[in-house]
Amino acid sequence: MSFELAIQARDLRFAYPDGASALSGVSFDVAAGESVGLVGPNGAGKTSLFLCLSGVLQARGGTLRVGGLDPRDPSQRRHLPSQVGIVFQNSDDQLFNATVFDDVAFGPLNLELPPDEVRQRVDEALARVGLTGMEERVPFHLSGGEKRRVALAGVLAMRPSILLLDEPSMYLDPRGRRELIRLLHALGGTRMIASHDLELILQTCQRVLLLDGGRSIADGPAQTVLADAALMEAHGLEVPYPLRGDDR
Amino acid sequence: MTLAFSLPPPTDSPLSRLDPRWKLAALSIAAAFTATLHTLSAAVVACVGALFLAVLGRLPGRWFLQRLGAASLFVALFALPLPWMLLDEGTSWSLGPLRVSQHGVQVALLLTVKAIALLTLFLTIQATAPLETNLKAAHALRIPSLFVHLGQLSYRYIFVLADELRRLRVALRVRGYRRGMNRHTYRTAGHVAGTLLVRGYERAERVGQAMRCRGFNGQFRSLKKFSTRPVDVLVFVLVAASAAALLVWDRYPELTT
Repeated sequence: MSFELAIQARDLRFAYPDGASALSGVSFDVAAGESVGLVGPNGAGKTSLFLCLSGVLQARGGTLRVGGLDPRDPSQRRHLPSQVGIVFQNSDDQLFNATVFDDVAFGPLNLELPPDEVRQRVDEALARVGLTGMEERVPFHLSGGEKRRVALAGVLAMRPSILLLDEPSMYLDPRGRRELIRLLHALGGTRMIASHDLELILQTCQRVLLLDGGRSIADGPAQTVLADAALMEAHGLEVPYPLRGDDR
Repeated sequence: MTLAFSLPPPTDSPLSRLDPRWKLAALSIAAAFTATLHTLSAAVVACVGALFLAVLGRLPGRWFLQRLGAASLFVALFALPLPWMLLDEGTSWSLGPLRVSQHGVQVALLLTVKAIALLTLFLTIQATAPLETNLKAAHALRIPSLFVHLGQLSYRYIFVLADELRRLRVALRVRGYRRGMNRHTYRTAGHVAGTLLVRGYERAERVGQAMRCRGFNGQFRSLKKFSTRPVDVLVFVLVAASAAALLVWDRYPELTT
């Protein structure tokens, strides 16, 4: 594995305009090619952290480098969409074009790529998520799983080196969830997955970062952190089923 | 409920084969001129012209009449009181205790006929090209990106908001809510409207964030390429010239006698 850092965060802080603190000194590194699960109870700061990493929210304090760029620097932030892709909790927030093709092409068009390359990237991204042939479908008439895959294709078409997935299994039925896990395995690359679905985290991430109250509580191998019943209990989580002992 | 907002599949018609830019420009000019007409006779001619274009566009009859009917009910709210409200020194008739003015009837008819003509033109634009094509044509006609995006997002999120409204109505019903003509109903309707507004605002924030994350900087971009043929220009000139002639006849009838 390369030890080049894809994400470097030191003492990150963020508070919303109403004064509510979302991140209070979060520090962590993610190596290139690493898959990191982000877990924690509701309000832990998982989505806020992703929005800071993608430059949507402006984190204060400390150091932040994502794909070699500082999301807080406006001149560097402009290049961030080609480095960092984020798939939001609710696909309806991300799909706003009239056809699947237009939606997936939205990002590459914003990168001002030549038309042929845009078409090529759209075809490639749809093939990766298994939606070839659905280019002319209307996104809001798709099933939850299909919407999720279109949203992912829209991000993949930008060929980001880092992928952030916020609650990717939310609104998915068991089959959609299984397909998502298969897809995540096939994708590879550097990624962070925020989820309450700890079994999904266990199956897709080697490492876990536990957040609570805007602070990083634990950071370590998924098998170790998620198996710590006392830690999970203390932060409103549960040990995932495959890690439970026979006595449970 | 969301079916009410659904667009018909574009039909193959002489109008749908035109370059969407020229067609949009021609029908927009026709609509703008129709909106400024003052006389009933000119408005009737404009309405007949719009209906002719709808026939030329092979609009699905049922889809067209349903929308026209719904819009007519809305227009009736404004048009029906006018004969009683616009009383002047001119001719009037007595209907029992009420007086109806000729001027009021004329204004009501003018309003109704113009509304039907405008809606027909609008539906013809909608039915003869997919929405995204019309938006791209609008952008090609130098309509600011902001308005094009507003059109696109408004249409897209009508479905999402309609879904949210449906969920709210189910939530009300399962808690025993029944509509009535009482204070409780009005208050509940106000709360539902408020909730939808707040949710709409929050969603708009999230959509904006998702767009920025994919490099959006306010520009409308598209791969769509349009090409102009002589027939596109000819239809544009015919429609625009007819609309201009109608406006001249409306304003300066003495020039045409």
